[in-house]
Amino acid sequence: MTTRLSEVESQTRELTLCLVGMPNSGKTTLMNAITGGNFRTANYPGVTVSLLRGKSKAEFGPALSIVDLPGVHSPVAPSPEEELACRVIEGNHARVRPDAFVLVADATQLERHLKFAGFVAKQGKPLVVALTMIDILRRMDQSVDVEKLAAALGVPVVPVDPRSGEGVAELVKTVHKFASAPPVGSALARIPDEPVSAFKVIRDLLQGSHAVRRVSRLSGLTDSHTTRIDRIVLHRYWGFPVFFLVLVSLFAAIFWAAQPFVDAIDAGFSMAGDLVVRVFPESIIARFIGEGVIGGVGAVAVFFPQIMILFFLMTLLEDSGYLARGATLVDRPLSYLGLHGRSFVPMLSGFACAIPAVLAARAIPARRERILTIWIIPLMSCSARLPVYALLLAALLPGAAWSAGLSLAGIYVGSLLIASLTAGLASRLVFSYRKPSLLAMELPVYRTPRWKPILRMTWARGSSYLRRAGVPIMTVSACLWLLSNFGYVPKAFVAPAKMEGSFAAQLGQKMEPMLRPMGVDWRVGVGLISAFAAREVFVSSMAIVFHVDADNDQTAQAGLLQQMRTATFPGTSQMIFTPSSIFGLIVFFFFSLQCFSTVAVVRKETNSWRLAGTQLAFYTGLGYVLAVASVQALRALGVA
Amino acid sequence: MTETLPAKRLSEVSLNEWCRIDRLEGPREDCERLLDLGFTPGEEIIVTHAAPLGDPLVIRVRGALLALRKREAAWILVE
Ligand SMILES: Nc1nc2c(ncn2[C@@H]2O[C@H](COP(=O)(O)OP(=O)(O)OP(=O)(O)O)[C@@H](O)[C@H]2O)c(=O)[nH]1
Ligand SMILES: [Mg+2]
Repeated sequence: MTTRLSEVESQTRELTLCLVGMPNSGKTTLMNAITGGNFRTANYPGVTVSLLRGKSKAEFGPALSIVDLPGVHSPVAPSPEEELACRVIEGNHARVRPDAFVLVADATQLERHLKFAGFVAKQGKPLVVALTMIDILRRMDQSVDVEKLAAALGVPVVPVDPRSGEGVAELVKTVHKFASAPPVGSALARIPDEPVSAFKVIRDLLQGSHAVRRVSRLSGLTDSHTTRIDRIVLHRYWGFPVFFLVLVSLFAAIFWAAQPFVDAIDAGFSMAGDLVVRVFPESIIARFIGEGVIGGVGAVAVFFPQIMILFFLMTLLEDSGYLARGATLVDRPLSYLGLHGRSFVPMLSGFACAIPAVLAARAIPARRERILTIWIIPLMSCSARLPVYALLLAALLPGAAWSAGLSLAGIYVGSLLIASLTAGLASRLVFSYRKPSLLAMELPVYRTPRWKPILRMTWARGSSYLRRAGVPIMTVSACLWLLSNFGYVPKAFVAPAKMEGSFAAQLGQKMEPMLRPMGVDWRVGVGLISAFAAREVFVSSMAIVFHVDADNDQTAQAGLLQQMRTATFPGTSQMIFTPSSIFGLIVFFFFSLQCFSTVAVVRKETNSWRLAGTQLAFYTGLGYVLAVASVQALRALGVA
Repeated sequence: MTETLPAKRLSEVSLNEWCRIDRLEGPREDCERLLDLGFTPGEEIIVTHAAPLGDPLVIRVRGALLALRKREAAWILVE
């Protein structure tokens, strides 16, 4: 009874602390430092687009409930994620009621960040300023006198480096001290709303208090490091070549850098499958485990290193500061297509997964540009397609790893181009084309990558991928193995059945007429249907329906390729996997939207079942039609 | 529009040349947001880069680098 009472008591006393500030000031990094969490951070304004919650670590004293808000450039004409943050700050959010604020301010841009601080201070809640980027300020030959600044603003100011955790304990202590004190009218709260006089008041405050010092009169204007890199990256002629080099090397590296890991995992799974079958020979259960579970999961797992490398390189790119430059470079072409410079990052993250990409589109200010971005995101070649393409390319181009790598880069760049084309057409035909919304994109300073957080982030993304994809892969493989090894014959239920008489075959043969034009038989059709659970499942289904045995001396991947190379239409000697039919399958996967989670998140973000449903039907139908068309065209041209 | 004042549009000034904002002239909501981002009359700014197609421009204002499209930069009149 007493414990329950104290629990209730501590619950009622637990304060809600909101981390607020302008984008890219380090709020989420600070959130991770206070809570020990692993939320996504990147050197790009507008990463956090929803409310992130956590609890302060025990080492920081009594527990605080911490909420990290999206960054706000300006409460004027906000984009959806900015509006959400403003709603919480103004106390109008239904569930999150802030008791105190930590305003995270970038010390290199004090005037702009304090302008926003004025907006927060007016809410009459306790406020502590956390000053980040002190190290960069030093690089620019400047320094801030924290005490003078605090005296001038009338609120506590604590310098922190959320990346190393320096100053974080001090910050939380200050919050505990001031959160219960009734707020007194601070100079910050007296900053006027009207921007011209607000900026004047702030400058007077800063200059009057001598809080910011420059070493020399000329120092501190720019970060020389950033200027030097930008001279190349934003160069008139070099800008675009560098941009394409970055993208192509990102995609090509996925293939060759992963190969050794792929081989190792492949060997591991093959051995495990072998072992099970060898220890229990002739047992149906052992075959189920060896082929259905280990074989099915292993067929996909071999591609996990490629997915990890993709996540690693994307995290590295996000942390460098290049993304905002990339978005600036492509703003002009994207605006022409009815998109926005800010569409670039959602499109790029679509290469990892469409779900966070659709969420990232919240940072696009105008609804029309946002919807159009969401419309084309499923075309971006997500990591779930990677195992499929890897398998199909290996079958199409035996031997040369470099040509498969380049083809993969080609698929990626192709998906960018097709997505652009789709956007351009849609913006003119479907959405009436209107003037674009404001760009006003902030370019952050370049930061030297820090390996530990990058590896941690990569691992967090990778393991969440495994959790999301692992369950459907395992279940579908197991079910499919059962369906293709058992069958129904008029008199009795037979087990094990021959493939041709199995349940899977009976179901699959019904769709045969749909599949023949694509140049494949019902077994591939079973793979295509099962890929609706998750696209990667296609690979494990292929391993199961083409009966890759666990008990030969090839590794699983080589075995699957071998089976595919010799597979023929039942009863004939006509090959199934010819260059034209493999190409057709690639085309199908390129377009079709085989991912119900994407449909669900699109519906949630656009608040329209119609849009999400149309998108599903449109892309999947388009994929089928174009696959058939390309197979037939190739055959007409004489390609087998 | 009073085009007679000795003001130039920010989209027309050359790179790396300091200039002072005179006023903003453009769609009301967009101009309000630009003001809020720090483009206030009297403030000294500089165009540091132009992207390959000459658009967008990268502008240094109050310690930040902001990319603005040419048509948005044209709303900012400088002297
Ligand atoms: N040099 C330096 N980098 C920092 C510091 N604090 C954070 N960063 C980096 O700044 C970048 C932005 O950090 P985030 O935590 O994602 O910023 P945010 O405020 O959450 O940004 P939004 O979610 O876009 O509003 C990341 O690359 C961090 O590693 C600091 O004190 N010094
Ligand atoms: Mg954040």
